[in-house]
Amino acid sequence: MNFKGTLPTLILEAIVHEPSHGYRIAQRIKERSEGVLDFKEGTLYPALHKLESDGLVESYEGVEKGRPRRYYRITKTGRAVLAKDRSEWRQLSRAVTMILGEA
Amino acid sequence: MTALDNWLERATRGLSKESAAEVRREIGDHYESARETAMAAGAAAEAAERSALIALGDAKAANRQYRRVLLTSSEAWLLREGSSEAKALCTGNSWFRWPVLVLSLFALAAGAAWYRAGAGSLGRLALAIGIGAGFWLAVPLLPVYTPVRGRVFRGVKWLVQAGTLVLAFGPGAFRMSWLIVLCLGSLAWTEWKRAAIRRKLSVPQWPKHLYL
Repeated sequence: MNFKGTLPTLILEAIVHEPSHGYRIAQRIKERSEGVLDFKEGTLYPALHKLESDGLVESYEGVEKGRPRRYYRITKTGRAVLAKDRSEWRQLSRAVTMILGEA
Repeated sequence: MTALDNWLERATRGLSKESAAEVRREIGDHYESARETAMAAGAAAEAAERSALIALGDAKAANRQYRRVLLTSSEAWLLREGSSEAKALCTGNSWFRWPVLVLSLFALAAGAAWYRAGAGSLGRLALAIGIGAGFWLAVPLLPVYTPVRGRVFRGVKWLVQAGTLVLAFGPGAFRMSWLIVLCLGSLAWTEWKRAAIRRKLSVPQWPKHLYL
């Protein structure tokens, strides 16, 4: 399913409770959407870099199973942006459901 | 060359060495995790590699997105080697400040004298040189090192540059399109690249000269 433009929000949601590395973020988005949101994983990292340069996430080096990994955690600004995105999405979703529900 | 190397080659085209190394590392890790997960689920090695590569998607599309967020070779060069005048001004102790100050004062004095003596065009040219050089001398004294102040400074900088051009060559300067292209073309190209760098780096990563 095409979800252009919402990937940054989904990434923020995927790391809101705990920091994570890129592969796990991608898997979490796919699992939580039950496979509906199936995106090309090569586009995940550019989105992560953009979030980082905008100050919404920060990265640090960690180790998983003996392998060095780059972990991403959400910042205070990132949480504020996520809360705003959630609220906007709920409004949009309610409006579209009202229209489509009447059809 | 493996299929992954081939993918990475296309995905990192045009990126700076540092950006390309970062992409290679993060995509390499990702690919390895995807391959291991597929093999743990019972896939054969070859099938696991193929599915991990397919999951990455089109390398060209990834390259387009990477070029929007990571430094390209030309931007990295500009950051490293270019804008030498702005870098020198930011150091605050550059040797050429005194000769520029002398030139600026001399040009202003000569410009005023020529103007009074009736040599209008020569006077205007000297005044323009004096004002332009004086403006750049003021840079280390100005508190421009925040994103908003930097933006205001850059707006003023363009106004001063256009103003000195008009002062030097008269209101007809902008009708001489070759002159505009010659004087402002390369400056505009550099400014365009610097704007891209500012978009790509987070503010704490900005070197001082990027504010100017």
